Amino acid sequence: MIKTGKIFIAIGVFLLIAAFNHQLIAQDVTVEATLTETNIFEGESIQLDIAVTGSSLSSLERPQIPDIPGLRFLPNQTFTGSNYSYKNGKPSLTQTFGFRFIAQKPGNYSVPPVKISVNNKEYTTKAISFKVLDPKTIDKGNAERVPDIYVRLEPTISNPVVGQQVIIDVVLYFKNDIEVSNYQTVPGWKAEGFWKEELNNPAQARSTSTIINGTRFKRARLLQYALFPTKAGKLTLSPYNLSVRIRNGRNNRSVFSFGFNQENKELQSLPVTINVNRLPEAQNAEYFGAVGNFTIKRSIKPESAYVGESVEIITEISGSGNVPLLNKPEYEFPESLELYNPQENTTITRNNRQIAGNRVFTDIVIARNSGTYTIPEKRVAIYNPAKNTFDYSTLPSIVFKADLDPNAVVTSLEDMRLDIDPVIGLANWKTIQKESLSSKKSIWVMILVPFLLFIGAYGYKNYYDKLNNDSGFARSNKAKQKAHSTLDEAQRALDIKEGYHLVQKAVSQFITDKLNLPEAGVSSGKLVKEVDQKSPGSSLTSELKLILDKCETIAFAPNVTQKGLENDISRAKELIKELGKIL
Amino acid sequence: MRFLVLAITFLWIGEIVHAQTSPQIKFDEANVLLEEGSYQQSMELYRRIEQQGAMSGPLFLNMGIAAVQMDSMGLGKYYFKKAANFETVQQRAHIALDFVNSQFSRQSAMLPKLPWDRAVDMLKVTPGTFGLFVTGYLFLCLALLFLIFKWFNIVNIPKHTNSTIACFTLSVLIISLAYYVDYVDRRYDEAVLIDEEVVVSENPQENATLISMAYEGYEVTIDHKISSGNNNWFYIRLGNGQYGWIKSKGIKIL
Repeated sequence: MIKTGKIFIAIGVFLLIAAFNHQLIAQDVTVEATLTETNIFEGESIQLDIAVTGSSLSSLERPQIPDIPGLRFLPNQTFTGSNYSYKNGKPSLTQTFGFRFIAQKPGNYSVPPVKISVNNKEYTTKAISFKVLDPKTIDKGNAERVPDIYVRLEPTISNPVVGQQVIIDVVLYFKNDIEVSNYQTVPGWKAEGFWKEELNNPAQARSTSTIINGTRFKRARLLQYALFPTKAGKLTLSPYNLSVRIRNGRNNRSVFSFGFNQENKELQSLPVTINVNRLPEAQNAEYFGAVGNFTIKRSIKPESAYVGESVEIITEISGSGNVPLLNKPEYEFPESLELYNPQENTTITRNNRQIAGNRVFTDIVIARNSGTYTIPEKRVAIYNPAKNTFDYSTLPSIVFKADLDPNAVVTSLEDMRLDIDPVIGLANWKTIQKESLSSKKSIWVMILVPFLLFIGAYGYKNYYDKLNNDSGFARSNKAKQKAHSTLDEAQRALDIKEGYHLVQKAVSQFITDKLNLPEAGVSSGKLVKEVDQKSPGSSLTSELKLILDKCETIAFAPNVTQKGLENDISRAKELIKELGKIL
Repeated sequence: MRFLVLAITFLWIGEIVHAQTSPQIKFDEANVLLEEGSYQQSMELYRRIEQQGAMSGPLFLNMGIAAVQMDSMGLGKYYFKKAANFETVQQRAHIALDFVNSQFSRQSAMLPKLPWDRAVDMLKVTPGTFGLFVTGYLFLCLALLFLIFKWFNIVNIPKHTNSTIACFTLSVLIISLAYYVDYVDRRYDEAVLIDEEVVVSENPQENATLISMAYEGYEVTIDHKISSGNNNWFYIRLGNGQYGWIKSKGIKIL
């Protein structure tokens, strides 16, 4: 006997799953309306496609096309098509309805939302804006000058800062009647002054339509590069070379061409100049080359180690921007740590028109002594091009402890091969002095002494020479001494008259010596006259005359005393002193 | 009496303060730490003595030993080279230098110095710039004496004029030499690299063209005249005769 109970249960479960699945399937239906062109010339035809996509399209009604302003519907030119594909392991069916129109009147319009019933549920497409252009506005001359096919380098920005990402698109433009079957890049394109990274490109380039100088062109982005300027200034991207294989519809009129009218064309883009600006100065922080949207963190592994074991200081910088150009911030490691060359590890992704990823620097340090080591905090700067300013962050300080390994053999001075014992005990201390010769004061004193000695000796030599060679100078110099000597003699004289004679001699001799006059034969009157010439109207002249007269007439004087002589000697000394000043 | 007691107390306190800050006290403490194997602490104490401006052969020798124990061979070489300038520890410093030099994995090629440079180096040490100047000065004084003797006929010197000119010329030459040696001494300095690896570049800039690499223990000559105006950079001559710029960090001037 066959048991049927379990089969019913299985069928029940299957139906339940199918119903549930159906409910799920109904939810993944998408409806999308697209217009083949959004810029259309008056009289041009375009197509409106309404695509319904879903894993199961059990009930699908043909959409009703509403009136579209600016366009006239062509009822005989409607199309339908279907496409079956697998997406993420699930089957997907796309049913497309195509409707053709002719543009009628220049202006800005929009395709209104279109309603469509799918699996007994109503869906609505989004409105599409479009523009109908007047063909009279086309500059025929310009249109003819534009080549049928050409390639351009199109940067996303033209004024980046050093290190900022610049996306360069390699874009192919070709006229509608040209078919491009394939293309090949010519290697050797240089972007001098930039770090170049090729971004992930789609396997097949999709073309869009655009109007250039009144002519409809197809625009296909073939390749995309991320460039990072490494220096400031005007940097020029060299022309990009491309080899394309094309078929030109206009030239394919010959009946004998058999569809083989294909040709290879070498295309070259125009050079593109990009003006790269300098970065501003980072304030009290280290700029390590990061330009973009980055985060930086620093960690240690392990946090404690034995002496002699390696410790890793890991610096991880992640985000989007100039990942390949990032440098490691400089850290101040304690001197007693042994440092090894840091390791670098870079991961880069090239999706979504940007370079992103992370760069990890690993400093390897080894503590050679036990103790606690501190790597001080570090302030770093990352330039954010979106904000045109630096983002600052501080990496916290890292402290780790190094202990002696209890199982390791304790090393000591004796174990080292350096066979030198430290010097202990009393040391002979000196102070550090390093001054230049010119800054030593003693040098200047030493130089000054012989200089002064030389000047003094030279002066004395001159005086000495003059004394020996110039009799007038010698007499003048010795006049006072000689006069005083004669006066002393007069003071000692026993005869008063003899005394006065010596006084006269002393005064006369002093004046003749001083004035370099002959020693004998000069009268008292002449002497008085000479003195008067030197000091006209002076009382000295009368005093001199008085003394000389007295000395000459003393023989006739009635009462002459010794005391009177002594008085006159004193007067004579005083006179000589005063005469010395004027002669 | 009260004044006397006060003065003695002041003198006594002054003596204690002096004893506490004396380099010898710190040196003894550091030596104890060195012998106990506390190299880092001993080095810190030695450094404090150095910062006070005191120096001695044993201090630099012990600093070199502490640096070697901390596995910093470049620093050890620097201190041993300083110690080698002191006669008391010269022999030991040279033995230590031989050891340290044998530990470096990379050795710099050393071009021999020119005879003139060697002579200048020798004069820097003996008799020194001041000694040279004094020698020249003595000749200048002698020339002056000869001149005075002649002027005043005090002593009759045979070939007096020639002797005076010879003494004066010698004095000018020797004093000029003293100033030249002093100039060279101030412009150039010997230094030792203590960083493991240093880039020698063509210009004092981060991204300048690389000339060579220099490694720990390399001896270089710094030109202070050319280096002036470039903060954190030194213009150097490597032992192999190459010239270039290096960052001032990681270099110890002798």
